[in-house]
Amino acid sequence: MAHHKEIFEDCEIEIKEDTNLLINGKEIDYEHDRDINKWSSRYLPYTRYDSLLEMARAIAQHTVEFSNAKE
Amino acid sequence: MAVRKDANTLSAAERAEFVAAIQALKAEGIYDQFVLRHANAIMSAIHRSPAFLPWHRRFIFDLELELQRVSGNPDLGIPYWNWPSGSANASMWNDNLLGGNGDAQGIVRTGPFRAGQWTVVNASGLPAGPLMRAFGQSGLPTLPTQGEINQVMTVTPYDVSPWNLSSNPSFRNQLEGWIGPNLHNRGHVWVGGSMLPMTSPNDPVFFMHHCMVDKIWHDWQIRFPNQRYLPETGGPFGQNLTDPMDSTPSGQIGPRPIDVLNSAALGIVYDGIITQPQPAIPHIIVGANPTQADIASPGETDLFQFEIPSFGPYTMYTTGSSDTFMTLLGPNDPNAQVASNDDGGENLNSQITRNLSAGIYYLRIRLFSARTTGNYAVGVRSDGNNPNPVTELIIDGASINAAISAANESDLYRLNITTEGTYTIQTNGTTDTFITLHGPNSQIPVIASNDDGGASFNARIRRQITAGEYFVRVRHFSPIGTGPYAIRVTRE
Ligand SMILES: [Cu+2]
Repeated sequence: MAHHKEIFEDCEIEIKEDTNLLINGKEIDYEHDRDINKWSSRYLPYTRYDSLLEMARAIAQHTVEFSNAKE
Repeated sequence: MAVRKDANTLSAAERAEFVAAIQALKAEGIYDQFVLRHANAIMSAIHRSPAFLPWHRRFIFDLELELQRVSGNPDLGIPYWNWPSGSANASMWNDNLLGGNGDAQGIVRTGPFRAGQWTVVNASGLPAGPLMRAFGQSGLPTLPTQGEINQVMTVTPYDVSPWNLSSNPSFRNQLEGWIGPNLHNRGHVWVGGSMLPMTSPNDPVFFMHHCMVDKIWHDWQIRFPNQRYLPETGGPFGQNLTDPMDSTPSGQIGPRPIDVLNSAALGIVYDGIITQPQPAIPHIIVGANPTQADIASPGETDLFQFEIPSFGPYTMYTTGSSDTFMTLLGPNDPNAQVASNDDGGENLNSQITRNLSAGIYYLRIRLFSARTTGNYAVGVRSDGNNPNPVTELIIDGASINAAISAANESDLYRLNITTEGTYTIQTNGTTDTFITLHGPNSQIPVIASNDDGGASFNARIRRQITAGEYFVRVRHFSPIGTGPYAIRVTRE
């Protein structure tokens, strides 16, 4: 079981045991469609991703709750 | 009335009016309420499910009402983003409307919604920085083409179990973008940035994007007038035809899918062209042989009308090998449901027997499963004392004496033509009759009608007729008129 931790776009992404996703310490709900092996989450309603990490980075980058765009 | 136009075709004045109205709603705090209504809805209640289209139709309609209010222009419509001609160099992205792409960090620095002029909000309504865009940079580099839109426009039924992003075949799922060429989702992803999360209405292009989605649904509804919203019942709560939808307040119109199915009734007009789908409703003649029909595309519903001349017991039925589902509506109101039936007839056929008062009734026939196609025949018979309610008109025989004895009554006659020739059908007497001739070998097409072609106010049809079975219907010219008449058919 792999643990993964990284800082992406100023957000801390943590994946525990390949399944538990946390962004900035907040647990993120997601769905994994095993038939087509795609991940999706309620934070990003228009997209599916090929891996949990790819989805986590998209949430960190695009969801205003997590992203920190500077003017 | 809201006149919705292609955003690229707006005049400078129309652009200024739309931008000013959006900015006024932002200043009032109303605009951000719309962002929160979307952001705080349950994601899967308004996306990836049948209510996706009605929910967003109601959502942009509500914003449109607010735009009309602040602009003082009751005809202001949200412009639509016509994707095939709406890529980065289109005029809708000019500084007098939406402004353009984001900079290297994705921050929008041009147009009325640029950094410093426009601040997005997060799902709690708190300021969360400037508007972000990154055209074509989020994995989908191109917008839908007209060919791809045309392809999705052929898909039926509206939606299908399991009513989610796996539904197939499903017009809703193809338009939303989980299967097929990807239309709606692709627009969000192509813009990128602020258009990606649940707070996507932060970018005003959201409303133009969903206006395009709504227009495609509207065009599809006109193209397939027999396709209905699905599910009617049996889907997840909030998705059925008459369920209240999530995160939809009460307003000028209701919160259910059924409340928003007819764009034209909501006063929405695209490009100033009023399109009213008014398909002719085929007639069934009581007592005649069943009318052949078919459900040619999955999910279709056929509508028929028939006239009950006088109170009595009647049976509405289908025949054939399809599993039909029948709904009886009326009298004189196609939206008043009387009864429905699935398998009351032979095998999987529908059948309804009941006493009906005189008037116009409607039958809606669909297949039990929205996934299948098939033939059937539909008929209505009287269960009264007369086993054969259709009187035969004998060519060159004696006149038949009859009467229109109640308002809205009509009399039906069968006419068996064995030799082609010129025939005359006429009434005699003091009643203002009106006759229609139907056939051959079908009760539906009206091949001739006449009011006063005969003596005095009598109707008369003279016509070359080929061999076959025909039907003659006699009524009073006035829907409330009554009176006796005699009818006769002669051959030359
Ligand atoms: Cu949405």
